[in-house]
Formats: sequence, C-alpha cells, structure tokens
Amino acid sequence: MSTLAANRPPRIAVALVVIAAIVMLTPMLWVLILSFKDNTALMADTSSAFLPPWTLANFRSIVGEGQVFTWLMNSVIVSLAMTAGVLLLSSLAGYGFARLQFPGRKVLFVIVLLGLAIPEQAVIIGRHQMFSAAELHNTHAALVLPGLSMPFGVFLMTQYFRAIPKELDEAAMLDGASRLRIFWRILLPLSIPAQATLGIFTFFHAWNDYWWPLISATDKDMLTLTVGIAATQMNFAQAEGLGFLMAQAVFAGLPTLLVYLVFQKYIVRAVAGAAGQ
Amino acid sequence: MRRLLALVPLAMLAACGRSDGRTEIVIQRFFGACQAEFGTLSDPGKADGECGIITAMINQFEAANPDIRVVENTVFWPGYDQLTAQLAANGAPDLVTMHSSAIPDYDARGLLEPLDDALAAVGISPDQFTAAARAGVTAEGRTMGLPIDVWAPLWHVNMNLFREAGLVADGKPVLPTSPEEFYAQAAQFKERTGKPYLVQVTSKDFAGPMRVFYAWMMQQGAPPFKDERHSNFDSPEGRRALEFMKELYERGLSARNLDYAGAVSTFLKGEGGILVDGTWMVGQFDAAAGDAASPLYRGYAVRPFPFLFHGRRVSLVDGHNWVMPRNDRRTEAEREAAQRFLAYFAANDFQWARTGHFPAYRSIIESEQWQQLPHREDIALITEIGEPLPRFVRRQSPIEFIVGEEAAAAYTGAKPIERALIDMQRRADEILQSF
Amino acid sequence: MTADHPPTRRSPTSHRWSGILFVAPYLATFVFMLVVPLIVGIRLSMTRGDLFGIKEFVGLDNFARLFGDPVFLQTVWNTFYFVLLTVPAMTLIGLALALVLNHQTRWAAILRAIFFASTVLSVTVVTLIWRLVLIPEGGLAAVIAGAIGREPVAFLSEQALAMPAVAVTTIWWGIGLPMVLFLAALQQVPRDLYEAAALDNASRTRMLFSITLPSIRRTMVLVIIVGIILQFQLFGQPHLMTGGGPNNSTRPVVLFIYETGWKQWQLGYAAAASQVLFAMIAIAAMAQYYFSSRKDAA
Repeated sequence: MSTLAANRPPRIAVALVVIAAIVMLTPMLWVLILSFKDNTALMADTSSAFLPPWTLANFRSIVGEGQVFTWLMNSVIVSLAMTAGVLLLSSLAGYGFARLQFPGRKVLFVIVLLGLAIPEQAVIIGRHQMFSAAELHNTHAALVLPGLSMPFGVFLMTQYFRAIPKELDEAAMLDGASRLRIFWRILLPLSIPAQATLGIFTFFHAWNDYWWPLISATDKDMLTLTVGIAATQMNFAQAEGLGFLMAQAVFAGLPTLLVYLVFQKYIVRAVAGAAGQ
Repeated sequence: MRRLLALVPLAMLAACGRSDGRTEIVIQRFFGACQAEFGTLSDPGKADGECGIITAMINQFEAANPDIRVVENTVFWPGYDQLTAQLAANGAPDLVTMHSSAIPDYDARGLLEPLDDALAAVGISPDQFTAAARAGVTAEGRTMGLPIDVWAPLWHVNMNLFREAGLVADGKPVLPTSPEEFYAQAAQFKERTGKPYLVQVTSKDFAGPMRVFYAWMMQQGAPPFKDERHSNFDSPEGRRALEFMKELYERGLSARNLDYAGAVSTFLKGEGGILVDGTWMVGQFDAAAGDAASPLYRGYAVRPFPFLFHGRRVSLVDGHNWVMPRNDRRTEAEREAAQRFLAYFAANDFQWARTGHFPAYRSIIESEQWQQLPHREDIALITEIGEPLPRFVRRQSPIEFIVGEEAAAAYTGAKPIERALIDMQRRADEILQSF
Repeated sequence: MTADHPPTRRSPTSHRWSGILFVAPYLATFVFMLVVPLIVGIRLSMTRGDLFGIKEFVGLDNFARLFGDPVFLQTVWNTFYFVLLTVPAMTLIGLALALVLNHQTRWAAILRAIFFASTVLSVTVVTLIWRLVLIPEGGLAAVIAGAIGREPVAFLSEQALAMPAVAVTTIWWGIGLPMVLFLAALQQVPRDLYEAAALDNASRTRMLFSITLPSIRRTMVLVIIVGIILQFQLFGQPHLMTGGGPNNSTRPVVLFIYETGWKQWQLGYAAAASQVLFAMIAIAAMAQYYFSSRKDAA
C-alpha cells in the first residue's frame, strides 16, 4: 500500500465519508428493525418500529412456512452449479487457447472476445424461445445453462494461463505427461487466484440474476430467492403484512451479506483483479 | 475442485422432487400469499379475506381427498405473464384463476380446454350459474371455465367520518347523484373532517384508475370499445370522464400518490372518506368494523359507484373463474382429479362469497344465508345492472395497464387530457390490431 | 508452433486436435447459449409474432415502427437520462471514497466494508429496502419528515422525482464497485512519485491533480465504460419500484422489451427493441473508449 505518513486525508473529508457511511447503513437498519415488529402495529404506523415491543414472530413464520427455504435451496443449487460449471469450462477452454495449437485458434478466441460485447437483452428472447421449444423451462438446468456461456471466464483464464511460464509445461512433457495431466496437476492448482476471482464473480452473478429466472422459472417451487422475494413484494398489500415482508428481505439479504463478510478480502481482490484484466 | 464437481450432480439429483405415487395437480392462483397466517387452516369458515379463504379451501379439499396431491402455485396478480410463458413451454398448470375478461383472449388461440363434459361429469350444469357468471365463461356456446364469482368495483364508505361530515341520513351514507353534488359533498367532507373525500390509487397499480375511467364512460352510455379492433377512449365521454377525475383531484378532494397497498392502508387507518376498491374487500372491512381498535369500528358501509351522469345505471363487472389451460402432458387421472376439485369448489362457493364477491350460483344468491351476510343487500343491485366488457375485447390485460397508466397521468395533471386520450386510444388500438 | 522448440515425444498432429477437445465444451455452450439465441433474436425482430408462434416476416417494419413509437422513444430518453444521473455520480463518489479510504487502518477497512456491502445484495432486496424508505405511507423518509414537521414527499409518484429516486437507489446499491476499482488503481501508483513531490513541497491538491489522477486514468475510463454498460441495462429497479410510471417517466428500454414481449405478446417488436438496445450499448461504450483514447494520444 502506498501510504505516506503525511498523507492523512483532511478531516472534513473523513467526516463526510463517515456521514455517507451512515447513509449507506440506515436503509438496511430500517428494514432490519421493521422485521422485528408485529404486522398490525406496522400497519397503523411504521414509526412504531423504533419503540418496543419487538418480536421474533415474523422470523418464526418464515421458518414455519417453508417456501422461502425452497427458494433458498434453489438459489444455492443454481449458483453453485453455475459456478462449478463456469470454472470447469472456462479453465479447460482457457488452457486450450493459452497453451495449445489447433486450427482456427486465433479466430475462435477473437470470436469469444466479441461475445463479451453482447448484452443479455440481445439474447434473452432467443434463449426463451429455444428453451420453450425444448420444454426445458422450470428446471435447474434452464437456470444454469445460459450462464455457462459467459465469455468473461474464458478471457480471464486464458490471460492467466498465458502468464504462467511455459517451462513448467515443457518440463512435465519431457517426463511424458499428457496434456490433460499437465492441465489438471500443474496449471489448475497454479491458477487458484484466478479461479477464486471467477468463482466469486459467477456466484454473485448467478445468485442475483433477476430477468432470466423471472421468465424461465414460473413455478412457485422453482423460484430462486431473488425472484421469490420479488413475487412477495408485489403481493404485500393483499395478505402477508409488512413485518413479515421485511423479515423475508432480511432472510434473503443475510446469506449474501454473510458470505461477503467472511470472504471480503477475496471478493474485493477478485473484483479488482478482474477489472485489471 | 474435484470434490466440488462431484457435489454438483448430487445436488441436482436432490433437487428433482420426490413423487409419492399420488395424482398430482397444479393449481395456480393469484389472491396473494398468506401461508404464515392461514397455511395450515382447513376450515374456510374460520378464514377471511380472499387469500385466507382460498388457502383454507384448497387445504380442505386436500384433506378430503388423500389420493390427490395439490401443488398450489401462487402468482402475483394477475399472473398472465407467467401463464403465457408456461403455455409457450407446454408446462401450464392444471387449473388456473382467470378473469372473465381474459378468457376470450386465451380461448381465441385455443389455449383453454372446454369444460362442458368435465362439469357434466360431476353434476354441474351452466344453468346453475347466475347470468353474469355464465356469460363470463361461455364462448361460442362452450363452457370454458367454472365460475368462482362475479365482482365489481365499489365505493367503501367510512361512516364514522361521514357522520362527522354530516353526510349520513337515516343511518345511510349520503352519496352524490351528479358531479355538482359530488363537489359539494366532497368539499363539505373535507372541511369538516380535514381528510380527503376519496381515497384511490394513482400510482403503480393501474387497474384502479382503469376501472374508474371505464365506469364513468359506461355511465354516460359510451362503450369503452367500439369493436374488436377499435377502442373508444378518445371520445366526448372519455374526455368528460377524465375531466371529472382531474377536477376532483385538482380541488384536493382525493388522496394523492397512493399505490394499492397505500390506498387500502390509508382507508383502514381512517384517513379518508371513501375507498375506491371492490367486492373483494367487503369481508375484510366488515371484520375491521367489528374491531373496537379500528377507525372503522361500527362505521362501515359499501355501495356501488354512484350514478353521476344521468345516463345509464350500470356497473362494470368481471369475474374470477377456474380454467384448464391446454397441456399435452396432462393425464386422465390428473384431469379427473382437477374435475373433483371443481366439484368441491362449486359445492363450497358460499365460503368464497364471504369475501364480498358475488357468488356464481343462483341458488346462493337467492338463499337467505347469502342475503343475510353483511352489506350484501346494499350491493345486490349490481347483480341486475352489472355489465362485463364485451366478449370481443381481447388483450384486455395489457390494455388495462395502458388505460390505467394514461388515465392516472391525465387526472393527476402529469399529462394534458387530450394527449392522454389520444395516446390511450393509439396504444390500445395498436394492441387490438396486432394479431 | 515453430521448429525452434525442443522436440516433444508427442506427434504434432495429435496435440493439434487435443486442443480442440479442451475448448469444445465451452464453445458448445457459447454457440448454443449466445450465438444461436442472437440469431434467433435477430430473425424474430424481423417478424410479427407472439410467444406462441411466428406469424409473418415483415423485414425492417418493426424498427421503423420503433422509431415512430413515442412510448419507445421516451424509454430511450429515460435510459440516457438515467445513465447521466448515475454514471458521473458513481464515478466521482467512488473516486472520492477511494481517495479518502486508501489506508491500512482499521476504521478505513470498516468503512470500505460498509460501502461495498450493498453491492452483494440482489436487486429485489435492494428495491424492497428502498421502497420502504421512499413510500409516503410509512417509509423512512416520511417518518423523518413527520418528525421534523414536514409533509412526506411521494418520490416514486412524482414525475420529476421518480427517476432521480431510482438513480439514488442505484447509486446506493452499486457504489462499492467503482470505489474498489479505484482503490486497486490507487495502490498501483508508485510511492516515489509522491515522495518526490513532497520533497518539492507540493500541496495535497497539486499531488492529486498532477500525480494521482493522471496515473489512474485507465481505471477511470474502465469505470465509466463499465458503468455505462451496466446502467443502460436498467430493469429490476423500475420494474419493482414504479412499474415504469408515473406517466412513462421511469420506463427504461429493457422494461419496454419485457412488457412488449411478455405482457403484450408482441415478441417480434420486443426483439427489435432489444437489438436497438444492443446497438445503443455498443455505440456508447465505443464512443466513450474512442474519446478517452484520443485524449490519451493528445
């Protein structure tokens, strides 16, 4: 870190940043405190949230209800599956592009790079039609497959593998190792930082994905947590009650926040590293 | 890495649901999700509100039919985006709630199964339905659904505030019979109570403004739709309707900036005189009127929209129905199970009518039991004057949003009325002419 | 491969083709999930049809219709407006935060964590949180207004305020990313530059403008381009917070695509709109890149 002893930021700047941090936290704390209030009390007046009594009833309802857990499971399955899939496919392809010669290698790589420019909106309608024709909607596969195609992963892994000295490969080849072995035993372990970057990036991308799961998973049991929370939002006038809704938001936000707090260093490094590439 | 990879197929296997040999039917509905409160209730008599009652009814059906497994899919209102996507993927549910106004749309594309035989098999005949309910599910002589109810928009009145404003006579709310009386009474209300006369939706949930707009047009004798390709919004009657809505908004006689949840909550808190909503809230507001802690305690009345334009005495009505979307993979056993559900629902429609909606069966409407339910007397008129949108109107659902959005923009002053009417008609006609 | 390399024990041809095996799985998904849908989408955009089957080929009709459609044109304008509201603000605020928090101290680390935390939340949680802040009926802003004796403002229902409110929500949500990118860049700036300047008694401001900013120029361009690309794709926030209103003022192009396709069943028209969006994003990103590289060369 390049910090100079004399380089303390001016006090006013720090003060402003602290105020900004409070502004950042306040909405989250507001929702948190609302989730601990009884629904009818909130219906009358939300500022009653600042005063006792507070209750765990909303969270108990969540545990009793079960639906949110199904959504949570779907999110976990889809996110983990997509992460594993992207890591595998991108690493294999990255190795192929970085280390191996085959006809059309350069052209194919450029095409993959061009893929980076394609936004989701240009392909989502086509994807929806294709999955409809194959009758594959409302499956975990439908939620995972599109994400496997993101060119970013291949780009990242290719760059990373290129940076690893070729001598390692060559030494192993002299010992008679096959390409696959070199990949599996040597290069892959060396690329853990890039894997971490890509894995974290993909995980959050999968977890927070909204539009595709919205139109592909329409069965209540197939919803991911992200889409399920949206569905309840639309309904809340009707039945559930504000406190319960807030408890669901807390329930939905907590896993990601916890993962973030635990893996903070890696996540930040991942984001910065990815951008650096 | 290897271990992680091994987990993936296992996880995916675990994700495939377990089947237990029972016939499974998927019932998809809106009306909200209330698992927390009513999830385990099997006695509809103890539930209230649309969500509570339907959840309890489905639970009761399941309890009485242990060989059927019901997967209850709750979608956010009106659920047509999902249904369309499901139909496109040949994965539609076995039964789904559908408005009468939406049936022509899906039926025209052959996306629904006719139910004449299915209903006959369980002893239900269309002459048991009320006229409005029957009209709602009939298309070209075939019965395309089982009616659940007929509903109408209503004015829900806070009698406590009305008393304060001096607008009660003989224990009944005094309601206007012309726009001039409306302004006068509303101004009086506002002066004496300090609260807005009308509580209505003006943002985000555009079905509300749409119903109000259609109502005022119909009362002037102008149909909202000329024919199946042309709407009639940009007309003198349409203009008059929007002008009226805008005038009362400008005079501060309506609450502002409320979405649906906000409007209901404002009324429940006693912050407004009249809530513009519908039959589905009657049960709930009546319950509040029995709650000593509620501002509506002993102070709730409900009426059809007043007839302001000296034209027709008419009310817009629509209905909810169970329909069976086409699905090539549906088995005979599933169809039969769905049939049994329809039979159960028909037999228990009275429970549903406790919500405030009009029952779909003549026998219930004519029964003392129904007529004794609170407030039904005051709105029974609608069973005679209720008029649904003509059957030739397709794509009603997206048009509804457009009309509501433009109407709300016009009467809140965000857009000039002329402009709003032109855009409303153009956008609606584009859709009506796009197929 | 040239003949300079030491001979391997494997024959050249076998390792020529094994390369294809490595890239094949990915290329398969690339083709099926990216290329084919793109072609399907382009083809769809030239038809008039719905979710249940294509009706007829109409060539460029849909595009002509789009450019004459006031609703669509408004959504294009809304999208540009939104990008203008968010990208400069996020860039500048992110930079400011990075400059202040570029320290190894405990409090800096905690503050950094706070600013990045919101970024990991999904759009549905974020909109839920901010609706509960912004709605005039019991939202946090309304409660605060009540406490200081003011009338609550209906941010999401006022035409002039709705899009800015969505923008504020988005800035709150995404400020962590620019901040982190700038932090990474700041850490690459060589210390000796600062030390030399300090020896010359350069003021802090001077150092900022002469050393820091020029050194992180590439990251600045990256932040802006990434920001533009991301915010052009605005969808979840207006879908959940305003429904596109009031009066079409918060409807971005992506929401238009969704509504046209899935609510109005005009899939061809929606596909055409999505191609237009694709072009818009590509042009905006390239323009930004072009302008910044021109400045570089100058």
